[in-house]
Amino acid sequence: MYYVLVALLDEPLHGHAILKAVAELSGRRVNPSVGTLYGILERLNDRGLIAVDREETVGGRSRRYFRLAEDGRGVLEAEARRMQRAASLVIDRLSPA
Amino acid sequence: MTPIERRYRLLMRLAYPRGYRSDHGEEVLGVLLDCAEPGRTVPEARQVAGLVSGGLRERVRQAARGEAWRDGLHLGVTAVMAGQLAALLPYAGRIGVWVLVSAAGLLAVSRGRVWPALLCAALSGGKALLLAAAWQPVDVTLLPVYPGFLTDRPLFAASGPAAVGLGYAVVCCGLLVLTAGPPPGPRSSWWWAAVPVAAWAGPGLLAIEATLPVGLGRLVLEVGLLCLGVWAARTARDARWALAAALHLLVVSGQLTERLTELTRQHLTYWGLLAALTATAALVPGDRRRAVPN
Repeated sequence: MYYVLVALLDEPLHGHAILKAVAELSGRRVNPSVGTLYGILERLNDRGLIAVDREETVGGRSRRYFRLAEDGRGVLEAEARRMQRAASLVIDRLSPA
Repeated sequence: MTPIERRYRLLMRLAYPRGYRSDHGEEVLGVLLDCAEPGRTVPEARQVAGLVSGGLRERVRQAARGEAWRDGLHLGVTAVMAGQLAALLPYAGRIGVWVLVSAAGLLAVSRGRVWPALLCAALSGGKALLLAAAWQPVDVTLLPVYPGFLTDRPLFAASGPAAVGLGYAVVCCGLLVLTAGPPPGPRSSWWWAAVPVAAWAGPGLLAIEATLPVGLGRLVLEVGLLCLGVWAARTARDARWALAAALHLLVVSGQLTERLTELTRQHLTYWGLLAALTATAALVPGDRRRAVPN
């Protein structure tokens, strides 16, 4: 879920673009299947963390573009700060000023 | 249509509910085909696993809509009525009309028709109670009622009128509560498939000479459904599955309590398993995870 929210930080994206962005952002460590990704998107949408920005039809198939909602931006920032604090507990000790 | 598209469409039809397929099926299919390597004809195993788990999650997501307590009550009553039909089914050759009334009740409740379901439950429950009590002022049926298939025990050989009455009382009270307010939504037709499985005595799992045997079919079905309920409760963070499981547990507890002095350790293990799964379904919705898991 974290990487999906990060992928949507800059601009609205459709499902396939989110998949590619998640793989790139995570250094290919996170590579969800299509069914898993859409399950995550529906849950984030239900919780109001993302929203459908627009729908387009490409090659006869409609596809939704998802954008980060305000709540999602806040939750993502809080999570990033939490991880930063957790990481600094180790990094500050390993490399003292 | 390419072979891989045909296979993905079949998988989606099996995994996802119809409403989701009609709204977003083409979109998901498009991404699946975009992700497939050129020339590939068979779906990747991880995509298959993702579709199956994603489809199940979507079914749970859709099932978790509406008032939890009303839906949980409706689900529990449906499950108990399926069990009551299963109890009568092997005797269809002797009490065919009452099996039909019980089946009509299950059909009505699974379609959200509360008043017809209540009428059928009251009628079939009344007959079942009289048979269990061996007191028949009208519509006399020769006792004991021997089965035609699925089991070899006479009807209610292991149940007395109290346990039978409790089961139907739970159903009728539940349906009476549901008559107030909007009618419940339809239930899955898979409940019909559960009826013969629950009716099948199978090899007696608990001591064969015990007065209250529990068939393998029923045990596997109960544990399987409760495990699904725990998973659904955890996935949707919702208590409706726990309420349904608690209704079923109440009916089973009534059956066991009636034979309290004859219960074996295996019976207590069986009850403990059902109670533990019911309690787990009740506790997991309150489990708080981080807002954004990885």
